[in-house]
Amino acid sequence: MSVVESPATRRTGGSTPHRAPGHAHRPRRRGRQSAATPWLLAIPTLILLAGLLGYPLIRMIVLSFQNMRLRELLSGRTPPWVGFDNYTKVLGDSVFWTVVGRTVLFTVVCVIVSVLIGLGIALLMRRVARGVRLLMIVAMMFVWALPQLVAAQIFRWITDSDFGVLNYLIDKLPGVNYQNHSWFVNPWQGWSVITTLVVWAGIPFLAITLNAGLTQVPKELIEAATVDGATPWQVLRNITLPILKPLITIVTTLSVIWDFGLFTQNWALRDGHPEPQFQTLATYSYTQAFGQSRYSLGSAISVITVLLMLGVMAFYIRQMFKIGEVD
Amino acid sequence: MVATTPGAPPVRRRRAPRDEGTVTVGRSRTGTVVANVIGVIFSVLMLFPVYWVLNTAFKPADEVLALTPTFWPKHPTFANFTSAFNAPLFLQDMLNGLIVTLLAVAGALVVGFLAALAIARFNFYGRKAIILVVLGVQLVPFLALLIPLFLMLQTASLTNSLIGVSITYLVLILPYTVWTLRGFISGIPRELDEAALIDGCTRAQVFWRIILPLTGPGLVATSVYGFIQAWNEFIIINTLNSPAKQNLMAWLLQNQTTRGTAWGPLMAGAIITSIPVVVFFLIIQRNIATGLTAGAVKG
Repeated sequence: MSVVESPATRRTGGSTPHRAPGHAHRPRRRGRQSAATPWLLAIPTLILLAGLLGYPLIRMIVLSFQNMRLRELLSGRTPPWVGFDNYTKVLGDSVFWTVVGRTVLFTVVCVIVSVLIGLGIALLMRRVARGVRLLMIVAMMFVWALPQLVAAQIFRWITDSDFGVLNYLIDKLPGVNYQNHSWFVNPWQGWSVITTLVVWAGIPFLAITLNAGLTQVPKELIEAATVDGATPWQVLRNITLPILKPLITIVTTLSVIWDFGLFTQNWALRDGHPEPQFQTLATYSYTQAFGQSRYSLGSAISVITVLLMLGVMAFYIRQMFKIGEVD
Repeated sequence: MVATTPGAPPVRRRRAPRDEGTVTVGRSRTGTVVANVIGVIFSVLMLFPVYWVLNTAFKPADEVLALTPTFWPKHPTFANFTSAFNAPLFLQDMLNGLIVTLLAVAGALVVGFLAALAIARFNFYGRKAIILVVLGVQLVPFLALLIPLFLMLQTASLTNSLIGVSITYLVLILPYTVWTLRGFISGIPRELDEAALIDGCTRAQVFWRIILPLTGPGLVATSVYGFIQAWNEFIIINTLNSPAKQNLMAWLLQNQTTRGTAWGPLMAGAIITSIPVVVFFLIIQRNIATGLTAGAVKG
């Protein structure tokens, strides 16, 4: 195959006169590329997302304007159209609004606590001796590796009212009687257990990811600042955190998404039948759809959940775009 | 954690042993001791539930249900494990879970990496729209899509099949994969690409020789997370497939309901279920937090 050198290829490859034939198809010019390339790269992802997320999403919206019960699901007949009936029913229900408030509150508390602890641990890992850091990593790896359902069941066992070790340990404190104490009678106590579980399980991802981000912070900057008399707090505020900010934003966003969609933990801790005070939006929708065969009502709740999520996340998406521009 | 007093002169000490990227200037000895103690306490607290599940799983039934729990099994036994292993469908569901998870992670990594590359390295019309899509779909509660998804996969004869669940899991972890890899690729200085291009690399070579190796830790971290997500999932597979085509997690759930609170076998089953993930994790663990790009431009 004879290679006809275009001016562009000569410009980029001119210094190497005897190039291998395989190098003939080089980009026309440095810094410019075919407009189709990025789209070709992105298209498999877009097809998959459109087919298995986009299309079901539309079906879900359609479903929320129908009345799909078990009979229609089994027979395959088109369920009757009911307009906004499902929405008026859901939005007029005070139980629904309680669930919304509870889910939001849980998310806020959980995200703040776990991101702060995760950041603290990530910073701590830079400070401790090598052996301690290894111990911390091993501990977190074990926790991270544990499946959510397994973790929830371990917590169910630890907080068991009759034979749980937590009651046994608390009971040993002077003047405290926690024998046969049930953690899920008082919703605040129950939610403390759930929050502890979610934070405990979330720390490894946060701390290890943020620690990986910390290794990207140029140590010369920190050393220079320290030599110039900056306190550790000033170094953290003015050097480390600004550099880490994009990563913190990402992990916070992810934490919000995950915590807002809480399902496994409260579902498993309540043995698959969460009481009304332990319902979140996800379990509430699921219970309506699959527990009571109100598929359309469940879909309506899901649609509202998505809309609520969009509202909550709009700020973060804008943040993401800002970072994208900085990149 | 602010251990050194403001303005205190940095403590001079012998050259610390080479520690990758650790700053040693201006750190007091007491501060380090305090940090170490906190680190150890943190590790113990984190590990306690893990220790407790192991402790319980090796206890005979009467020790599990003791009013005064013992912190070590007095008569260690494997009885809980044998009863879990001999349970119907256990091994079948274990295999199913591995197949489904590995297919999903491999697929998401390949597909997601390409999209991440497009977003991170190319400026093109529609880039923001793709970012919006990738970010936006993460907001969709996947469980909400279960009913339409079920109807769709049924039409395609992909319910009660491992392929159907694999594709579903792939899509489940794809947005996260794209977004995280995008971050890692953006972390690689563009100057490296440009230097390689000037030196005569093709774009393909830049990809294979620079971006791919340098994204290694990112690929590992992302795939680990994808593996966890797919292996942990039980609601979708429980809804789409019959028990013979489910994974260990769904098995564990059914096992739990039939056995009620038989804590010993349940904890043993939970340990077995966790082992593949833990092993996989510990093998590749050292690759996770290595900052390969540190110093790449200087060199």
